[in-house]
Amino acid sequence: MLRGYKELWWAFFVCSLVALGYGFVVYWYQEIPAASELIGHSLGIFGFILMLMTEILYTLRKSSRSARWGRMSSWLQFHIFTGLAGPFMVLLHTSWKFNGLAGATTLLTMIIVLSGFVGRYIYTRVPRTMDGLEIEGTLSQEALKRARQLMSLWHTVHIPIGVALFISAFLHVGAALYYATLLK
Amino acid sequence: MNNTGRFGCLTGMGAIAALITLFVLVGVAFASGGNMFSAGALNAEKGEPMGGVASHAEITQCKLCHAAPWSAETMPDRCLACHANIAQQMLSVAQLHGAIVQKDPNLACRDCHMDHRGATASLTDMKGSAFPHEALGYSLEGHQRKVNGGAFDCSDCHGEDVTTFAADSCQTCHSQMDLAFAQAHSLSFGTDCLACHDGVDRLGSDFSHNTFAFQLMGEHDEASCTDCHLDARSLADLQSAPQDCASCHLKDDPHAGAYGSECGVCHTSEGWLPAKFDHNLASFKLEGEHAEVACEECHVNNVFKGTPSDCYSCHQGDDEHGGTFGTQCESCHNPSDWEDATFDHSRTNFPLTGEHSEARCEECHTNGAFKGLSTACVNCHADPAYHAGAFGTDCAACHTTSSWSPATFNFPHPEPRAEEGGNGIYHGGASCRDCHPSSFREATCVACHDGNNFEDGEGGDD
Repeated sequence: MLRGYKELWWAFFVCSLVALGYGFVVYWYQEIPAASELIGHSLGIFGFILMLMTEILYTLRKSSRSARWGRMSSWLQFHIFTGLAGPFMVLLHTSWKFNGLAGATTLLTMIIVLSGFVGRYIYTRVPRTMDGLEIEGTLSQEALKRARQLMSLWHTVHIPIGVALFISAFLHVGAALYYATLLK
Repeated sequence: MNNTGRFGCLTGMGAIAALITLFVLVGVAFASGGNMFSAGALNAEKGEPMGGVASHAEITQCKLCHAAPWSAETMPDRCLACHANIAQQMLSVAQLHGAIVQKDPNLACRDCHMDHRGATASLTDMKGSAFPHEALGYSLEGHQRKVNGGAFDCSDCHGEDVTTFAADSCQTCHSQMDLAFAQAHSLSFGTDCLACHDGVDRLGSDFSHNTFAFQLMGEHDEASCTDCHLDARSLADLQSAPQDCASCHLKDDPHAGAYGSECGVCHTSEGWLPAKFDHNLASFKLEGEHAEVACEECHVNNVFKGTPSDCYSCHQGDDEHGGTFGTQCESCHNPSDWEDATFDHSRTNFPLTGEHSEARCEECHTNGAFKGLSTACVNCHADPAYHAGAFGTDCAACHTTSSWSPATFNFPHPEPRAEEGGNGIYHGGASCRDCHPSSFREATCVACHDGNNFEDGEGGDD
């Protein structure tokens, strides 16, 4: 079972490391790192870079017709790993305040992560090869059909949420640059 | 897997979602006047109205405070546009914001003052690193951490108002750190800690008096601060503590000032004893044999004061003259050697002249007797047989001390008288022995005058 959840263990390991560092910083400075200062800001930037990788790399690999870099299952594992570690760092970046656009972006982030968990559950219901291709004949036609419909339905929800998230995240980054980061 | 299509997430639903999100957010942004980008509620505490509002919370437009990155204005410009009183303060180093800007001209308002942290959150967050506390005369260098390891809050020292400082603020924490010391220290130096301490810890636990000109060596290192710095209430008081010995030690002086106030000439800070006394600074200098004797030979029972400086007080027992020369030993003797005495006989009523000055003392002063000797010649000089007692004892009537002979006979010569061919005194030209060959009691003429013939005598004008 452990092998099947490798990406979850990696994500758990990395999140634990980050949480440990965060806890140490809180203990040392006796305060929550502010989103706009070195620690908080770095968490936001790295978290968002991971989230961008989650989205862009997986999409590129999936949509590529000619190139076949790595197995789809590995890319999905990487998608899940970055899709957990990135949002966790972004959550720490919030300094536990959720107002305005930033709060909405955080909310969308949490929703997309939950959505990802659900998707993974549906995805694994269909037996696949290491390249992600469905293996015919292991499920009854009826069951396979239902699973495919469910997967399709899930995609129509997961992808728009993701897109909305990135639109809102980019607006947040732009506003932060305008109002705070590029301040003179 | 075909559900995703060629453009990945830019599916139809994805594109629609993107457009809707953008539309909603832009709409909300316009509707809220930018509030959706706000990092939190603005401070709502009302103050003196300026810029048309009584609190930040009344500001509805972001651009009132946030100048655009491409604008020539800075955010501090926007702050000072309303807070003209602060702009005024910044012109004078005597005022809080003036002192701060003087210390670090690059500091922006927001380095200390933050908003968007809630309606009741403090607008001021002077983190030790950003706020140049030393510009106000007190560095926080030594106050980075509280005793419990926590960071300092302004209120820990300032209470509610950061512009005030209660003198007893220090005591609260420092009493917890070391109650006995804190109490003793404030009793000794007062409770106005800032009068001496500027926070750079130079008078703190790593304080070493030896960095100053007056280093604490020996017994001084054991003294308590107030032994020297009595009633010091400021750094200036501490620095003006006298550094000469007498200022502190005058009361300890067993010499009662007899040796002046430069204790260090004889004593060191290692202890009053042993002392190294340069006796030559005293009126009685130690010369010759005196330099060799132990202190207690003169200073009996360690009494140094009032020791007589006349010779006789110590040397009475050494007087070989039995007191006959009085008590002024130094008239003849010097400290180098008793034997090397020089007596000036001319100071007596018998000055030594002529042959007398060649005589040895004991030729006259027999038996070591120097006092009460008669000055009469006969006391030493017996009348020679040749005189036969004819001239009495007053040798000096005819003799001088230069020599016995020649002598001058200064009395009327009885014979021959002048009318007898003499020259009025005695026979001119003749020596005494011509007429008195063996004794002045006897005279003979015949040595010159043959028989009774005075006409053929030699030497006469017969």
